[in-house]
Amino acid sequence: MASAPHVVIIGGGSTGAGIARDLSMRGLDVTLLEQGNLTHGTTGRMHGLLHSGGRYAVSDQKSAAECIEENRVLRRIASHCVEMTGGLFVKRPEDSEEYFEEKLRGCEACGIPAEVVSGSEARAMEPHLAEDIDKAISVPDGAVDPFRLVVANAASASEHGARIETHSTVTDLLVDGDEVVGVEVDHASGAGRHVHGVEGGTEEIRADYVVNATGAWAGRIGEMAGVDVEVRPSKGVMTIMNTRQVDTVINRCRPKGDADIVVPHETTAILGTTDEEVEDPEDYPEEEWEVDLVIDTLSELVPMLADARTIRSFWGVRPLYEPPDVGSTDPTDITRDYFLLDHEERDDLRGMTSIVGGKFTTYRMMGEEISDHVCDQFGVDADCRTAEVPLPGSEDFSVLRDYMDEFGLRSPVGRRSVERLGSRADEVLKTTDPNPVVCTCEGVTRAEVQDAIEGSGSNLNAVRIRTRASMGNCQGGFCCHRLASELHGEYDEATTRAAWNELLEERWKGQRHALWGEQLSQAMLNYALHATTQNRDHDPAERDGPPVDFGAFDDGATPTDDPPTRDAVADGGRDGD
Amino acid sequence: MSDTHSPNDFDPAEPNTSEEYDPVDVAADSADADLRPGADSCYKCSTCDTTCPVAEVDDDFPGPKFQGPEQWRLKRREDEQTIDDSVMSCSNCMRCDGACPSGVPLSEMHNTARGEYVDEQMSKTSVEYWRNRILANYRTSAWLASKVPRLASFAMNFGPARWAMEKTLGVTSERDFPEFATETFREWWERRGAAAESRRRAREARSRLDEPVDGDKKVAYFHGCYSNYNTPEVGKAMVRVYEHFGYEVVVPEQRCSGTPMFANGMVDDARRHAEVNVSSMADLVDRGYDAIASCTSCSMALRQEYPELFDIEGIDDVAARTFESVEYLRIHEDLRGELAAADIEGDLAEEFAYHAPCHARNQGLERQAVELFGELDEVTVTDVGDSCSGISGTYGWKAEKYDTSMEIGDEMFDHMEATEGETGMTECPTCAMQMEHGTGYEIRHPLELLEAALVA
Ligand SMILES: Cc1cc2nc3c(=O)[nH]c(=O)nc-3n(C[C@H](O)[C@H](O)[C@H](O)COP(=O)(O)OP(=O)(O)OC[C@H]3O[C@@H](n4cnc5c(N)ncnc54)[C@H](O)[C@@H]3O)c2cc1C
Ligand code: SF4
Ligand code: SF4
Repeated sequence: MASAPHVVIIGGGSTGAGIARDLSMRGLDVTLLEQGNLTHGTTGRMHGLLHSGGRYAVSDQKSAAECIEENRVLRRIASHCVEMTGGLFVKRPEDSEEYFEEKLRGCEACGIPAEVVSGSEARAMEPHLAEDIDKAISVPDGAVDPFRLVVANAASASEHGARIETHSTVTDLLVDGDEVVGVEVDHASGAGRHVHGVEGGTEEIRADYVVNATGAWAGRIGEMAGVDVEVRPSKGVMTIMNTRQVDTVINRCRPKGDADIVVPHETTAILGTTDEEVEDPEDYPEEEWEVDLVIDTLSELVPMLADARTIRSFWGVRPLYEPPDVGSTDPTDITRDYFLLDHEERDDLRGMTSIVGGKFTTYRMMGEEISDHVCDQFGVDADCRTAEVPLPGSEDFSVLRDYMDEFGLRSPVGRRSVERLGSRADEVLKTTDPNPVVCTCEGVTRAEVQDAIEGSGSNLNAVRIRTRASMGNCQGGFCCHRLASELHGEYDEATTRAAWNELLEERWKGQRHALWGEQLSQAMLNYALHATTQNRDHDPAERDGPPVDFGAFDDGATPTDDPPTRDAVADGGRDGD
Repeated sequence: MSDTHSPNDFDPAEPNTSEEYDPVDVAADSADADLRPGADSCYKCSTCDTTCPVAEVDDDFPGPKFQGPEQWRLKRREDEQTIDDSVMSCSNCMRCDGACPSGVPLSEMHNTARGEYVDEQMSKTSVEYWRNRILANYRTSAWLASKVPRLASFAMNFGPARWAMEKTLGVTSERDFPEFATETFREWWERRGAAAESRRRAREARSRLDEPVDGDKKVAYFHGCYSNYNTPEVGKAMVRVYEHFGYEVVVPEQRCSGTPMFANGMVDDARRHAEVNVSSMADLVDRGYDAIASCTSCSMALRQEYPELFDIEGIDDVAARTFESVEYLRIHEDLRGELAAADIEGDLAEEFAYHAPCHARNQGLERQAVELFGELDEVTVTDVGDSCSGISGTYGWKAEKYDTSMEIGDEMFDHMEATEGETGMTECPTCAMQMEHGTGYEIRHPLELLEAALVA
């Protein structure tokens, strides 16, 4: 091949990362541009359900069939990102019997393995289900970690020569006549890994083809070239519980409605969701009633949720698209299918295609379709291999290891680490250096954190999504500073401080919507701890003037070899003094 | 939800004591209960870690915060190999329970995890398993020994035998086995005329006390294994002191309280014994008896561990009506007044170095002996501090735990040595063993002192 066509992909969500992997595996020259961290958009704010298709088995059978197909593929190629929990569609006495039957027939029609279980069988599987549920349909739903999956796709693309740029915003499209010929990019820091405080700059990137995979933002990119992409963003809330009340995905078996699903995710359970059309995908109200609604409604299925600890809430916007002639008024009526909009066919603008709509579960299929389309433009004849070749981390591996013997880790910590790292576990965890646990809530060790820093630079939020560090019940109260200190050595004080502040702020953001009960106690303890030990209520290092000279501080007495002598007293004093 | 966090109607929540938290409804037995939701109450303050006596001396022990809420939150429900083996290094002193400001069911988490670990991850053919099982089933060995008490006391401490025990079973040869009484408490009780005799004496006391002779003061005594087989003088003191106050005592059928079994993860063994204990106690409680134990670990088991771990008919009533022996009298009788008027002579007019067992501490009883005997002029009771004795039942008997056990005990030994006199006092028989082992002091139970002061 003379020189492979260069394709620029805008958007580092599941769709963009999936396309980047696919095209680079087919030998094309790929650049992926993302304005934030990978998964900054909707992908980082989704529910984590690996659809079996059951949810769409009545309303949208095409999507349902795609889901079950991709569900099987992802179990194979992304095993370290997927937990096959199984799922239940639960019918309460007041829910329609007809719909239950319809759901069952729909699953059969779409090839989704489905089985009816009685109320007591369902409760034997999930003891915290409400006592009065009638029955349920069991389906192969699963849980999927969007962060890990996108990072693995990007890593694979990178291995195949792709250039991955995060914190790089596309500010304009370069249009030459009726053809898009490149993009203008604003890098928040230098090219490559994101490092705080490094001077960024703008860059013009020429491309033979541009793929717009910016989800809810797709309209904005379209505007830059004067084409209309009608994405209707619709927001949904999700609330994260501190522990897993259920180990199976629990869906409410009724036509449609808010707050009808609980997904067990890693150490937590995530409740959701709502569906409300919004104007701006970046600026929309996050409202308390949404959180209340989700908890109250789902308590009808799992009563203990009403009093269980919530750790945070977050919102995502669905990039729903519907062809202009349909005109649904209710966002839940809009199809979950995806659309490939070739702007040449549609708008007489060559050199760019947008891909909109769809689901996380079908990201690979979307990637395959658009990659086929791009290859067609250049007459490239290469097969798609993304359905067969496992992602980095998902090559053959077993989670059952002797954690203490092999990695020196306590078993629950070792278990979680190996689950996250998959086939990379040996490479990352076998270290001769001390390997303390840095985040105790999620069982994340220094070696895993260092591995993430290597992959993502000084950005601790990127380290967070790779490792889950700071995503547990203290929400970073006890580990953000430890994570920051892991940057020591390679990065200077100012960089570290900026990264640390950014992580703390991000952690605080989601907790604001879940501040009652135990999480309020947690927040108060975190505050006291950070105020008294980190001077966070008044930070002299943030004052104007010359930087703090830490070298000038007294680092304490030099330890001597003789331990202090201890005199016994009998007054109940603990240490004899 | 909204009314609990609306900014307008601030309504401070009750402190979380986890009282409503009841995981038992999920599974009949806690051995397969899901305690993950118990982690909700933990805000990771680490107070529990600072009070754990094992963590203090053993750097490899990860401490109660890891063992309890963190491990439970990280573990999967139906999963092999996720309980860390360090749970076997926890001595089940339950100090962490009392330390947690937030009501995390720590000891329940440890007990359940240990049960799961032993069931699923410990080899049933290992020496460790059988050693633990033998230690945990002390009652069985003691029962055998009581048939030939003198021979048993000799044989168990016979040098070559102990050497062999350490080598083959991992039972430390550093410690002397307790002597077996030539007459068990129950044998004495029967010989003395059992319940009928006790009723007679109680009635006598009531008439001396000007109380209605047909009064309703009656208790069921849970003597436990140790005061039956090894220190019947404690059991006798209990009976005499209670009769002195006009209580009729009955001594129902009973097995081991289960304490050593919980600590070794033998939850099924413990359950079998608990069923017998609960069924005989429940009957009596139903008929108006209160259950009294003279060993603080036994009362702890009946009061807290049983209802946490088992779902046995009548268990909650028994738990609610179980008391430690001195505690009960302090509630219902004017012990202080009587003691103020009493004299004491002979070998108990002493300076006592008092150690509060961890399990007494958990029941809020750690000051009772010191406060009570302050009234006795001839006697001084000095609290030797809030450290753990380190033996924790069977823990200190394991060869590999012996050093840890003694290191934990160090502080207590120091403080004991610093008191005048050479007598110790505690409510717990294994703490007593450790106190004696570390200092050579003779150790008495508060009931013995009460008997000497009050029962002529
Ligand atoms: C509440 C909710 C719950 C969901 N739950 C599920 C579920 O359980 N299962 C499931 O399968 N699907 C679920 N989905 C759907 C799924 O999340 C989305 O379909 C999928 O993540 C979309 O991915 P994407 O890559 O197309 O978009 P995004 O993830 O939004 O990616 C677009 C990216 O483009 C970037 N970008 C935008 N503009 C620019 C620019 N100018 N320059 C550079 N980058 C730019 C953005 O930062 C963003 O990262 C859910 C959606 C929502 C809203
Ligand atoms: S029970 Fe005692 S030894 Fe075990 S973790 Fe708690 S404090 Fe430590
Ligand atoms: S004392 Fe209680 S709240 Fe604090 S860390 Fe321990 S278990 Fe958690």
